[in-house]
Amino acid sequence: MSKLRTEEFTVNMGPHHPSTHGVCRLILTMDGEKVVKIEPVIGYLHRSMEKICENRTYAQCVPLMDRFEYVTAMSAEYVFVNAVEKLAEVEVPERAEYLRVIMLELNRIASHLIFYGSTAMDIGALTPFIYGLRERELIIDLFEMTCGQRLTYNYMKIGGVSHDIPKEFIPKCREAVKIISEKMSDYEGLLNENPIWLARTKNIGVLSADKAIAYGVSGPILRASGVKYDIRKNEPYSIYDRLDFNIPTRPNGDCYDRYCLRLDEIRESLKIISQALDGLPEGDTLKKVNPFNFRPPAGEIYSRIENSRGEMGVYIVSDGSTKPLRVKMRGSSYNHIQIIPELAPGGLIADLVAIFATFDVIMPEVDR
Amino acid sequence: MTRDELKEYIAGHLEGKLKPLDSGKFNPLFEVIESDLLTVAQVLRDDENLKFDFLSCISGIDTGERFEIIYSLTSLAKNHRLELKVVLSRENPEVESVQGIWPAANWYEREIWELYGFDIKNHGNLTRFLLADDWDQGYPLRKDWDAPDFVRFPELER
Amino acid sequence: MILATAELIGIFKWLHGLLVDLGLKEPWLTVVVYGLLSVTIFGVLCLIALFLVWWERKIAGHIQQRFGPMRNGWHGWYQTVMDALKLLQKEDILVDTRDRPVFFWAPVICFVAAFLAYIVIPFGKGLIVADLNIGILYIIAITTFTVISLLMAGWGSHNKYALLGGMRSAAQVVSYEVPMVASILTVIIFSGSLSMVDITESQQGNFIFNWFIFRPPFGIIAFITYIIAATAEANRTPFDIPEAEQELVAGFNIEYSGMKFAMFFLAEFVNMFTVSAIATTLFLGGWNGPLLPSWLWFLGKTLLVVLLLMVFRWTFPRLRVDQLMEFAWKFLVPLTFANLILAGWMKYAGWYW
Repeated sequence: MSKLRTEEFTVNMGPHHPSTHGVCRLILTMDGEKVVKIEPVIGYLHRSMEKICENRTYAQCVPLMDRFEYVTAMSAEYVFVNAVEKLAEVEVPERAEYLRVIMLELNRIASHLIFYGSTAMDIGALTPFIYGLRERELIIDLFEMTCGQRLTYNYMKIGGVSHDIPKEFIPKCREAVKIISEKMSDYEGLLNENPIWLARTKNIGVLSADKAIAYGVSGPILRASGVKYDIRKNEPYSIYDRLDFNIPTRPNGDCYDRYCLRLDEIRESLKIISQALDGLPEGDTLKKVNPFNFRPPAGEIYSRIENSRGEMGVYIVSDGSTKPLRVKMRGSSYNHIQIIPELAPGGLIADLVAIFATFDVIMPEVDR
Repeated sequence: MTRDELKEYIAGHLEGKLKPLDSGKFNPLFEVIESDLLTVAQVLRDDENLKFDFLSCISGIDTGERFEIIYSLTSLAKNHRLELKVVLSRENPEVESVQGIWPAANWYEREIWELYGFDIKNHGNLTRFLLADDWDQGYPLRKDWDAPDFVRFPELER
Repeated sequence: MILATAELIGIFKWLHGLLVDLGLKEPWLTVVVYGLLSVTIFGVLCLIALFLVWWERKIAGHIQQRFGPMRNGWHGWYQTVMDALKLLQKEDILVDTRDRPVFFWAPVICFVAAFLAYIVIPFGKGLIVADLNIGILYIIAITTFTVISLLMAGWGSHNKYALLGGMRSAAQVVSYEVPMVASILTVIIFSGSLSMVDITESQQGNFIFNWFIFRPPFGIIAFITYIIAATAEANRTPFDIPEAEQELVAGFNIEYSGMKFAMFFLAEFVNMFTVSAIATTLFLGGWNGPLLPSWLWFLGKTLLVVLLLMVFRWTFPRLRVDQLMEFAWKFLVPLTFANLILAGWMKYAGWYW
């Protein structure tokens, strides 16, 4: 009996497919339900931000950074501001550093809550999405209270932060921390031991540590593959060296581990926020620099931070003028989307969706 | 290893192939000649005390006078960082691909090829992905690039 | 009892008598009576489908700790009426490359097949359009029609996602038909008849404990397997792979818009009501029950089963297509057949009943 002949066909997944999170396009070659080859096509969100930055002063670049990574806009601002401060050796007031860390961690939680919801939704459970967004709302309210914006904050300034927190921020923030840490068991109860969830995520898209490192995969995905590396610990910036927190890791590197690890990270971030709120000193929040005549000395710097998706870096070359000569932004999703064609073939289209979801790729970071 | 020890170790270990630069403000920065890039990269990745196994970023730079490429490297095992700079000629900018050493370089090099027009040798997949497929307006990130007044989309002209 | 006089059958008897008094003769009498009956059932089911859409949204809302529709009327009660009106007015967007007749007839067949099953469903004591002696067999035959329409939609849309969705639904419905029929056969062994009325009547008496679900262990196993298979049959989460939004965008109905989409959508909810009504008739005693009028019992039980299906949908993730098949063939089919054989043996040996 001759072997059954099957025919491969091409499916265009995206640019506006519900589970490609924005405008990523994957050209799939499929054999029935099985994915044979994936070719990612990016660039639908290309806004030439690197070129725009070359024509703006340093202070004018900061609001652009919000658009670089709008899910955790605080960290995108911070990575730029931090690099410029290192380059120009600007001293930042203590209180501003604490506020920055609080905001960064709140934003990390917000991002992980979106991850929790959108991943569950991609795998077919619709309720967790609302659960995740509900608690994210508390955090977004805190941001709105502080700087008036809910998504693109423009909160970090060169030399500090733009606004001090209002009086009611600290009690509200403590309340939000308490509510979220209580709700964590809800999140885990919905999915962690659900047999369908386990069947869909366990041993799906296994990424080995070696491969992850070779492809420049960072952040939660790297840690879910068993590598204990977190820039907050290994190259402490801001006040992270004074705070007590753990780096959760998971051994297997499959979709389930990537999902669990992010929930663990929310817990650690809650710990950090509580400590930072306890230690928050009084004082100034902004060391004024003249935004129109701010000239860092000539030099170049690659500075990076750990944001909710991984290593976020910026390479700034200064020639001593008011405008940067070159700003290169490194988003971790850029590397993550690069490894998906290696990981998903051989699985079904449903597995591809699960892998894409747990990689938590967002497109503005890729296209810039 | 601290930053200075690392700098010294590398300078001693790769004598003659690397030139330390002062412009690097945070991490050690070395200049390497294009023809030596692959050998240096191989040593940096495989040397027991260096182990630069993680390629963070590749950035192309146009200073107005010359072209440069920066390789930002990290060692996850040893926890230190380094930047390598390759200076390219303005007339004929070309550089060897480092994909064989760090697979992560693939898209970064593709992007540099697309936006700067540097020729990446032995890359294997140099196709456009950030700009339009039929882009013929030059290399946008070069300093001497002038933005065209408008871009005509062929499908609107039917 | 006052409530018992509220039996709906009285209305139809009165109507029938009125028509006879008016001097209507056969065969026109039959035509008019059945015409009125089908219009009534169609109307009632459309209302039920609209209600179910609203109810599903409310349940989804409350499971997710929000309110759901709140704007139109009390707790948004006529929200779905407005939605249906909106869908009626919408432009019917068509693909040029569609297979015209197949594309057109797919929603029609789906819609019609969804309603045909109600000919043999006893809504209450005596409230049945036609008591066929092969009632349940007829239902199994008719509900399978839906899969043809889904395949037609998948093929006619000329879209790869739709085609994948259609193929998935064919594979799924064919697989889950087997355990579903096996669990239905268990009930037929209990009752000894294929007629829906006979099945209902054999569950009468003894307060509620004559219902087939209270015949452990076979009744309860058959009920659970039936509910699982019925969820798959109605294409609902966790078995909604034919229209898996995150994989196939919308599956077979990706190219449908306006009223054609609404027909698929309403048929889905009617199907859900159908499988629940069958579950009620077969396992939960149909219209049997103390005190309340029979049609109310039937409606209440059916809505309870619908509620169960809705809670499934809003709490479970979706299975993958191969896991779905494995679950059907490696677990449900052996289980239901073992259940069926044991039940038959017990009945033959006369141990239980």
